Amino acid sequence: MEISNCVNKNVAIEKINAVQPKLNAVVTMVDEADNTKEGKLSGVPVALKDNISTCGIRTTASSRILDNYVPVYDATIVKKLREAGADFVCKASMDELGMGGTNKNAYTGAVHNPYDLDRIPGGSSGGCAALVAAGCVPLAIGTDTGDSVRKPAAYCGVVGVKPTYGRISRYGIIPYASSLDHVGYFTTNVKDAALALEVLAGRDDHDMTSSYEEVKEYSKLLNGDLTNKTIGVFKTVIDEVENEELKAQFNALVSKLEEKGAKIVEVEMPKEYMELIAPVYKTIANAEATANHSNLDGIRFGMREEGQDLEEVMTNTRTKGFSSYVRARFVIGSYSLFEENQDRLFRKAQKIRRLIVQAYAKMFEECDAVLSVAAPTIAPLINESTNVRFGVSSFAEEHMQLQNFSGYPSITLPLGKVDSMPVAVNLTCKPFEEQKMFDVSSAIEECTGLKGQCLEG
Amino acid sequence: MEKFSTEYFHKLANDLKFDLSDEEIEELKKDFVAVEEQVSLFEKVDTEGVEPMVYPFEAPTTFLREDVVSDVLTQEEALKNVKDARMGHVHVPKVVK
Amino acid sequence: MNYFVTIGIEIHCELKTNTKMFSGAPVRFGEIANTCTSVVDLGHPGCLPCVNKEAVALAIKACTAMHCDLETLVRFDRKNYYYSDLPKGFQITQQFHPIGTNGYVEIDVDGEKKQIRIERIHMEEDTAKQFHKDTGTYIDFNRAGTPLIEIVSKPDMHSAKEAAAYVETLRKNLLYLNVSDVKMEEGSMRCDVNISLSKDKDTLGTKTEIKNLNSIANVQKAVQAEIERQSALLDAGEKVEQATRRYDEAQKTTILMRKKEGNVDYKYFPEPNIFPIQLDLDWVKSIQDNLEELPDARLARFMKDYELSEYDAGVLVSDREMADFFEEVLKSTKFAKKACNWIIGDVSAYLNKNNLSFAKVPCSSENLASLINVIEAGEISGKQGKVVFEEVMQGKDPKKVIEEKGMKQVSDDGAILAIVNSVLDANPQSIEDFKNGKDRAVGFLVGQVMKASRGQANPKRTNELIQEELKKR
Repeated sequence: MEISNCVNKNVAIEKINAVQPKLNAVVTMVDEADNTKEGKLSGVPVALKDNISTCGIRTTASSRILDNYVPVYDATIVKKLREAGADFVCKASMDELGMGGTNKNAYTGAVHNPYDLDRIPGGSSGGCAALVAAGCVPLAIGTDTGDSVRKPAAYCGVVGVKPTYGRISRYGIIPYASSLDHVGYFTTNVKDAALALEVLAGRDDHDMTSSYEEVKEYSKLLNGDLTNKTIGVFKTVIDEVENEELKAQFNALVSKLEEKGAKIVEVEMPKEYMELIAPVYKTIANAEATANHSNLDGIRFGMREEGQDLEEVMTNTRTKGFSSYVRARFVIGSYSLFEENQDRLFRKAQKIRRLIVQAYAKMFEECDAVLSVAAPTIAPLINESTNVRFGVSSFAEEHMQLQNFSGYPSITLPLGKVDSMPVAVNLTCKPFEEQKMFDVSSAIEECTGLKGQCLEG
Repeated sequence: MEKFSTEYFHKLANDLKFDLSDEEIEELKKDFVAVEEQVSLFEKVDTEGVEPMVYPFEAPTTFLREDVVSDVLTQEEALKNVKDARMGHVHVPKVVK
Repeated sequence: MNYFVTIGIEIHCELKTNTKMFSGAPVRFGEIANTCTSVVDLGHPGCLPCVNKEAVALAIKACTAMHCDLETLVRFDRKNYYYSDLPKGFQITQQFHPIGTNGYVEIDVDGEKKQIRIERIHMEEDTAKQFHKDTGTYIDFNRAGTPLIEIVSKPDMHSAKEAAAYVETLRKNLLYLNVSDVKMEEGSMRCDVNISLSKDKDTLGTKTEIKNLNSIANVQKAVQAEIERQSALLDAGEKVEQATRRYDEAQKTTILMRKKEGNVDYKYFPEPNIFPIQLDLDWVKSIQDNLEELPDARLARFMKDYELSEYDAGVLVSDREMADFFEEVLKSTKFAKKACNWIIGDVSAYLNKNNLSFAKVPCSSENLASLINVIEAGEISGKQGKVVFEEVMQGKDPKKVIEEKGMKQVSDDGAILAIVNSVLDANPQSIEDFKNGKDRAVGFLVGQVMKASRGQANPKRTNELIQEELKKR
């Protein structure tokens, strides 16, 4: 990789072992022979979120029900990374089955933020974010269903990318909610992020939703020139930010971008739609998740509990196998799928999703990219944070779910520090305009001077 | 059975092949207050004539897989993660149907 | 009392593809357990479905043959339920947009033709196979994910005969189309019959469903038995209970499997992992334009082109392999009616006796055609033909058999004439009879000549020469 504080597998493993007692970011260490393939990622140590299927390597999705599961196949991206020469060093912790935003809900316990061990790294790809932020690996692959890469990237001060829906194959990724799931990843700088997409992206016939769109040499084409670029400031979100220090840093960045030649405009979404983001997201995500995880019954793989008959085996397995939190969300998801409820819950949420996406798309009529803060606060304290179950929350917290609804490519970039904790911006472009997203991102990186930000392990 | 009673939630959970403890159900009851509030929030949105959005993008695909054998597992691979395999089969206690 | 009977039928049919509906694992019957699977069929975490093109092509064929409106934007949905034979915990099916709707097939019951409407045809995937033993249940996932079409009729049938005729018509059609093996006994075609009785046709009675019928004959018997069972209940003033039943051959009655407790909510929703697929309309057209000939069309063609009776053509067409063999034979002979007689008669009898089918007929079509040709040319007699046939069924060339057996007929006039005259000399009474107008004397004389020539004289020529010689005397 272009820039990386550790480009050696053994160094990475040493560093991970050193930080593991503090961060608890790893589920399984990977011990494989060196990858001898020559490619874009030759010798680059890579961490994988534990919902990415690795043939012969335990893959638990941080759920008890998969604690003993060893896939017999590789996810498409695992093959692609191997082809490119990458070395896998570990499977990283996550919120159980991707359901959560704190990384407290993992079978192996909470993951800690490297900047402050009392704080969460965010979730669900918290283990990956923590490992990149701690300087253990230059690249970690996560997944993003409702900001699960981009929020932890913000809390941990690293770059987090969620490209366009269909840009990266989902084959072999243990799902959360299929219509919202994206493969994403963490790096410490934009160029690495651009390079990683060259390796990960591309059509895969095993995933019927994967795109035929051409994969460009994003890292070679990278161009931070902002002349003739219009950046939309997401006013609706920024107005909700209460932290003045964060707001000031954001505004300072916008001024710098303007100085660099960007045209700045303000863009807005109707507030009523913004307030619907979280409920619509939860309704769709829980419903798809309850069906997606119906295969976890202990019969063909995973932890099986004993029972007198099949019914008991399944029930005991799933009761013990899933946390309370996950079971509760399955009940809610299932409820919204009942025939009598679909019109007012699941299908209604899908209809509102369309209205929200239509309104969101409108914002891009007048700009090339939309910029906002990624999260309105620094990473919460572990013992103060709870996974929002089904209650109301501020849309400034959940606005990045818009890019999961719409499938638009989206990136989180470090902005600075507030109270010694990282804060970040989020940038979104139109579908398949990843090149433009990386181009503007590299300009932002120049403005913040935070290229390569991570802690020395 | 009364809607949102403890018994009701037990049934919902059992249909999904798991149990909930009484404490878990008490928590869930609170969640369902939020769910119902959300329904009223949804009802305020006029979705007349709006089609459900099932996929992020809706240009139909044309791809169909050619009917050629590929990706076949050996019996050993197929049964590798099975807790109880007997005579090449996945074994479970007798199914009562 | 007589009741108005209403019958609707759902047929599940395994498609004849190389691979599964949504994975590349092979579709094979009778393989070692769990050797025909992929991670997709086992529902392993993270795998995604990928639609089989050939399965779609076969579904298009079925829809076209059954006059359905074709949905060219193919979409799939999830049907959610938990069971050990359903690996993903949901079945991918086409609940909301079946590939075919509003079709019909024509059935023939005792010479009367009738249309049965088809409500829908949709694609889905099969479940795993389970074996229940005292020691537990054993699951083989080889069948899991096998492509299926489900054909749902309208409740247009009103008797056991109609139900059986409908299933038989579908079976034959699907077989002719190469859509399915349609082996009811192996489960590649399964049919569920819904039956209700009512006092008049405007009200509907409570229906029962009969599952797991493994032959057409049993469809008819089961429906008849169920009609009688329900009639008896209604006659006695009792109620029919909504339930799933099965047919017990030994007891010749239907037996309760399980009661229906309300409607199961399958929580159907569109499958998010399969984008809608827009079928290439040229591709669809090429499938429709090249549809295999259906049994009814073949029957009509046999009657017209080969001047066969409806009965003969019907017998041939009822067994596709027999009809195929017939057409093969006709490539080497022009005697269609004779070929038909041989095939329906001697060949069928031979196969029956030896437990063979027309797929494995031991003689080549050329050899049978050649046998027919030599008989029709008068080179051997029909009687000799039967002898040669036995050898032909051992795979031998009839011409060689004739030579080996020295059956070659004498057609040389000189040789026959010598025998004719010696026979005439020995039978003056017959000459007398002939002169008195008794034509059957000729037959007797021909027989004598054949006898004297040990059957080798050409009977046709013998007959002609006897007539000529008689006139000279």
